Amino acid sequence: MRVAVRVAETLTEVLLAPARPVDEVAWSSALTEARRVLARVAVRRSGAGTFRVTDHQLRVALSHGGGPAEEEPFAWSARTARRSLGLAAVRALAVGVARSPADAVRARVAESSELVRDGNPAVSGLDRWLAGLAPAGRAAVGAAAVTWSTRLWCALDWDAFAVAPVIGRDRWWDSPDSALLALRGRAEVRSDAGNLVVLSGPRRDSVRAELALVTLVEALRPGHGGVPGRVVGWWPDSGRVVRVEAEPALLTLGAEAVSLVVAGTGTPARAAA
Amino acid sequence: MVLVAPRPIVRHAPRGAGAGAGGEVLALLRDGGGTRPRFDPGLAGGLTAWLEDAAFEAVAARGDGAGPLVLGPRRLLGSTGGPGGPSEGDDGMPSDELVLSRVVHALFRQLVDVGTLDDPLDDGLEALRAEGEQSGEVVRHIEALTGPARAALSDAVSLHAEHLLALVPRLASGWLPRTDDRVSVPLAGGRIVLQGVFDLLIGVPAAGQASLCAMAVSTGGPWPKERRSLHYLALLETLRSGAPPFRLALLESASGRYGVEDVREEHLVAMASHVAAWLGGGGGRESRGASG
Repeated sequence: MRVAVRVAETLTEVLLAPARPVDEVAWSSALTEARRVLARVAVRRSGAGTFRVTDHQLRVALSHGGGPAEEEPFAWSARTARRSLGLAAVRALAVGVARSPADAVRARVAESSELVRDGNPAVSGLDRWLAGLAPAGRAAVGAAAVTWSTRLWCALDWDAFAVAPVIGRDRWWDSPDSALLALRGRAEVRSDAGNLVVLSGPRRDSVRAELALVTLVEALRPGHGGVPGRVVGWWPDSGRVVRVEAEPALLTLGAEAVSLVVAGTGTPARAAA
Repeated sequence: MVLVAPRPIVRHAPRGAGAGAGGEVLALLRDGGGTRPRFDPGLAGGLTAWLEDAAFEAVAARGDGAGPLVLGPRRLLGSTGGPGGPSEGDDGMPSDELVLSRVVHALFRQLVDVGTLDDPLDDGLEALRAEGEQSGEVVRHIEALTGPARAALSDAVSLHAEHLLALVPRLASGWLPRTDDRVSVPLAGGRIVLQGVFDLLIGVPAAGQASLCAMAVSTGGPWPKERRSLHYLALLETLRSGAPPFRLALLESASGRYGVEDVREEHLVAMASHVAAWLGGGGGRESRGASG
């Protein structure tokens, strides 16, 4: 039995509200222009390395005003692991195989140890890192994931989705013009009506461009027909929400932001409005 | 603006409360839990408007060039060992109080999550290592201690752990216990940020009702200040979600003392008044880009 969760209705309502009508001709035109901008980006920088543009890269670059910023190399920690574990937990809760976030996280952490112990080929870097921790270390990682997943689990009315949402599947668009350019659209919860993106850090000018990237990737993906749903950014720390409706200008903003990040100038021509 | 809350139940156990204290903490948290207090839906909006006014005054006084001012309970209330946490030492290195606090809070999270401890200092250190660079300074500090200094820290941690073992109730996972829940409330367009961290939140959020319990661990700060830090966090939760926690518990790990009380509107108003006065007074002007 699933934990009965009374939810903050507002976030669900924002996510699932009827979409605004979009001028399909203008949308199609903006999408064509976005493809053209991205094709130019790939051609101009081909040979200079692979550009896998994510919302994080975009945020860092735009915040620093000068292209991809120098960053610390990635390392697993309670903070960097909490989203992966938390999403697995919310998936387990949504399909009813776990009764609470704590139970779901515990099961996922235990699964890591089993995968590593059994030499399962599906084992990931996260699994190996978790399995190598002392029990107290694993407990600390689990605690961070429980908090992360509890916040997301309690934030939405899961029964309000007509079709079960997709939880935590990043989507990629690989440029057909260059194998060197790929864009990632990150959303924690995806439905036909909208995509929910969990945000952290302060509210910032770049957030609209970060969310535009999600819309851009959705629109560019092969086989995607029509206009994607809105993107809702949500800061669990503050409860604040920012909503971007799918509209032609968003495609332009996203493509320009990617272009400028890759080019290293870092300042989008149209800053977050 | 009326926060309808149950009767005040502030209680303090005698020093050195032993086994069974956790059960009493839990009983106090659950007392009357079948009926959650409703509150005036305008309360959060009123408090927000009040603080926004004060924040814009502070921003104007600080000038356009000043960066965001991030304020926590340590800065606003001067708390030392509890929800606000102790600060670094004068040399920028982790103070002994900070190290102890970080280890004890890690143990608290472990107790909530799995309910048991092995060797307290080792467990705390492993937990901090798993936090990565976020706790790197504290880990390196502990690893660099001399044998006698490490033994002294181990003794101190063991004392706190013993009290925590007695005080921390076993919480059903269905109550959604979550530790280290960060709250961050931007004011004046993000130029002032009020932030804090709940050591533990319990309960299911419910629109229009105060439905959460909050618990904090203090490693040694003066009780009244730590209690006010919890009131500050209750204010932040009100600003974040529209409803405060309905009950607060404060565990003092150094002594084993604890207290449980209901959140009342006057707590929130008094704290908002304090923060507004701080922002409107010298504090907001003198602090540039500081946090704490």
